[in-house]
Amino acid sequence: MRLSFPWGAAPLSLLAVAVLAGAALVATSAAAPPRADLVFALFSKEHKQAYEPLVAAFAAKHGVRIEVQHADMRALQSRLQSGFLAGAEVPDLVELSEPAMGYFTKGPLNDLGFVDLTERIRGEGIDTIIPQGRFAMWSTRGRIFALPHDVHPTALVYRKDLVAELGIDVAQLATWQDVLRIGRTVTVDRDGDGVIDRYLLDLPAEGDFGLRTLLLQRGGGLFNEQGQPCFDDENAVEVCVWYAQASRGPGRIAFPAGWGQQLSKAMSDGIALFYIAPDWRTRQFELDMPHLSGKLGLLPLPAWEPGGRRTSTWGGTGICITKACRNPELAWKLINTLYLQTEGMGERFASSNILPPFKASWELPEVREARPFWSGVAVGSFYAALAPDVPANWVTPYTELANGKLNEAFNAIAVAHEAGEKDLAAVARRELKRCADYVRTAMARNRFMGEAP
Amino acid sequence: MTLARRLAPLWLLAPYIAITLVFFIVPLLDAIGIAFYQTNGARSRVWVGLDNFTFVLSDPDFHKALINTAVFTLGSLFIQLPLALGLALLLQNGKGRVTRVARLIIFSPHLVGQVFVGILFSVLFMPRFGLINQGIQSLIGWGLEERWLGDPTLVMPALILTSLWMYVGFNMIYFLAALQNVDKELVEAARLDGAGPWQVFLHVVVPAIKPVMIFVVLTSTIGSFQIFELPFTLLRGNGPDNAGLTIVGYLYQTAFTAGDLGTGAAVGWILAFIIFMVGLVQIRLAGKGGGA
Repeated sequence: MRLSFPWGAAPLSLLAVAVLAGAALVATSAAAPPRADLVFALFSKEHKQAYEPLVAAFAAKHGVRIEVQHADMRALQSRLQSGFLAGAEVPDLVELSEPAMGYFTKGPLNDLGFVDLTERIRGEGIDTIIPQGRFAMWSTRGRIFALPHDVHPTALVYRKDLVAELGIDVAQLATWQDVLRIGRTVTVDRDGDGVIDRYLLDLPAEGDFGLRTLLLQRGGGLFNEQGQPCFDDENAVEVCVWYAQASRGPGRIAFPAGWGQQLSKAMSDGIALFYIAPDWRTRQFELDMPHLSGKLGLLPLPAWEPGGRRTSTWGGTGICITKACRNPELAWKLINTLYLQTEGMGERFASSNILPPFKASWELPEVREARPFWSGVAVGSFYAALAPDVPANWVTPYTELANGKLNEAFNAIAVAHEAGEKDLAAVARRELKRCADYVRTAMARNRFMGEAP
Repeated sequence: MTLARRLAPLWLLAPYIAITLVFFIVPLLDAIGIAFYQTNGARSRVWVGLDNFTFVLSDPDFHKALINTAVFTLGSLFIQLPLALGLALLLQNGKGRVTRVARLIIFSPHLVGQVFVGILFSVLFMPRFGLINQGIQSLIGWGLEERWLGDPTLVMPALILTSLWMYVGFNMIYFLAALQNVDKELVEAARLDGAGPWQVFLHVVVPAIKPVMIFVVLTSTIGSFQIFELPFTLLRGNGPDNAGLTIVGYLYQTAFTAGDLGTGAAVGWILAFIIFMVGLVQIRLAGKGGGA
């Protein structure tokens, strides 16, 4: 029998393919399971692994089903943002990374997709057991929208063996000016091929996290507590001038070791001796460079002035409850279990080196344990001693813009330094003001943020 | 013809028309309106009139993006296309295995996608440890610590080099196809009349492949003005001092990073206008040059 289709063989083939594909799709798609009582999304695989036993125990205790979802940090943030904006389904609980909160706080407070946790945090006295500054990156207009997961005190990790060989007394590295002075004696081309073989310090040549970290340590930052740009103040001028001298042009003492394999190679080969390291980075060093066990030391950051602050902060994670959450009380209980109970926290610290923010946890045995990798130093106690001094890092919707503009200003300062400019501070004042004014103009355009705090 | 038969094309086109309407025409029309509002996603919007356009047109970052994009486009046109044509001329007559393999090798970077190429070259361009700097150092004894992706003056050359690697082979294929359609008898006649290789190329080959050249120039220009993924992945952002910021990168920054879809829409319309005008000028210029 001859098959007859009125519009020809090609449309028939297309129709057949469409029908077959549709049928296959229907046949292979399993019915979606009902939504869990709580859906918890996070960006860190390590956090997911660490939470899973606690979440399972919590779910069994409360007779509920909890789904923990992992997604890439940027993907999680953009999906969440799209979900909020379009009114689509979002998780009940979310862990965000700094400066993500800024993305969500540009509009009116009513539009913000997270539950305001201010009253809960203050009512339960949580703000008294966690360093105050840690709430800065999770706040907008005086309200707190996430509970901080960490403190991330920042110090220097250094090649203890090489530093000893060179006869450097680390106690002499008390201020950043000392670092510059000693660095110039250490940073040398040893084989005369025109390429420097050893630098004192690892710093990104474009500014970036290194500049931000040192600026926070100096008492400055991108924004002040009022949410206004402040990276054109005298703190920023001083830090930018120092950073330009340290990282660019003749007389530089820093090498941009970067990330991943490049960093491992630079550290293993001893190209740079000192590395800025918040607590989380020490775990990366342990995992990526086991062959350096016993060869690394820890040192508080040199101060900006004698007796000044010896630490800073870099990064941060916080947990939020979305307004779409159907059971905020249950979500808050889970947050308490994960963030504020010591149960399981010691193991989590041991597997991440991330110091929990609440002070009682700093006495856990795992935190106080001496580690052979760090030549017998207790990493947890070392960072816990720095934690009370960690500066506040205020985050706004314009943090990313301000960060780009700070780098832009820094580049202009560094170029002037490379060209032999004598009055670098004047250049820094001018460039930082120009870039901070750009951010102010962008902020002035925002017609949604005029609400009283 | 029965009614059913007459309506058949419409039925068959219906899915395409529906998808185009929902995902292209409606958003396009919506973008016209949004460009006159300041937005915070879909929930909040405030009428701002022409403010988004005046802000963008007076924004130094937009000017930078415009200059960067124009430089990248010129680099694409004046380096990439002559190189693609040169390679096509070199490989057009070969029939052997070596020629076929060479064509495949030159074309293959286009198969892997911009994100992959961006990540790959970010490793190749690493100071000190990257293959490119190591190669330069071993050749001329300098350049080991050059920061291709960290020095604003080197970012654009790095971006153009990367796009050369990716797109030369792709454009070469167009030119190869065009060259194979050049009338051999015409070439032979010109040679018999005493024309040298350069004259044959200029007066016979170029006029013959001119329609394809116009097409390649136009698509390369449009593609260059729309470049985004390559610099974004290569530089993990806009690069130092916004040296790798392109117009679409600026659009992404305003619409999705800053969350202001209104300003993003305004940038989109300005970009569309620029591409339209550049395309129009190119077509006019090509027309004035005389046909084949």
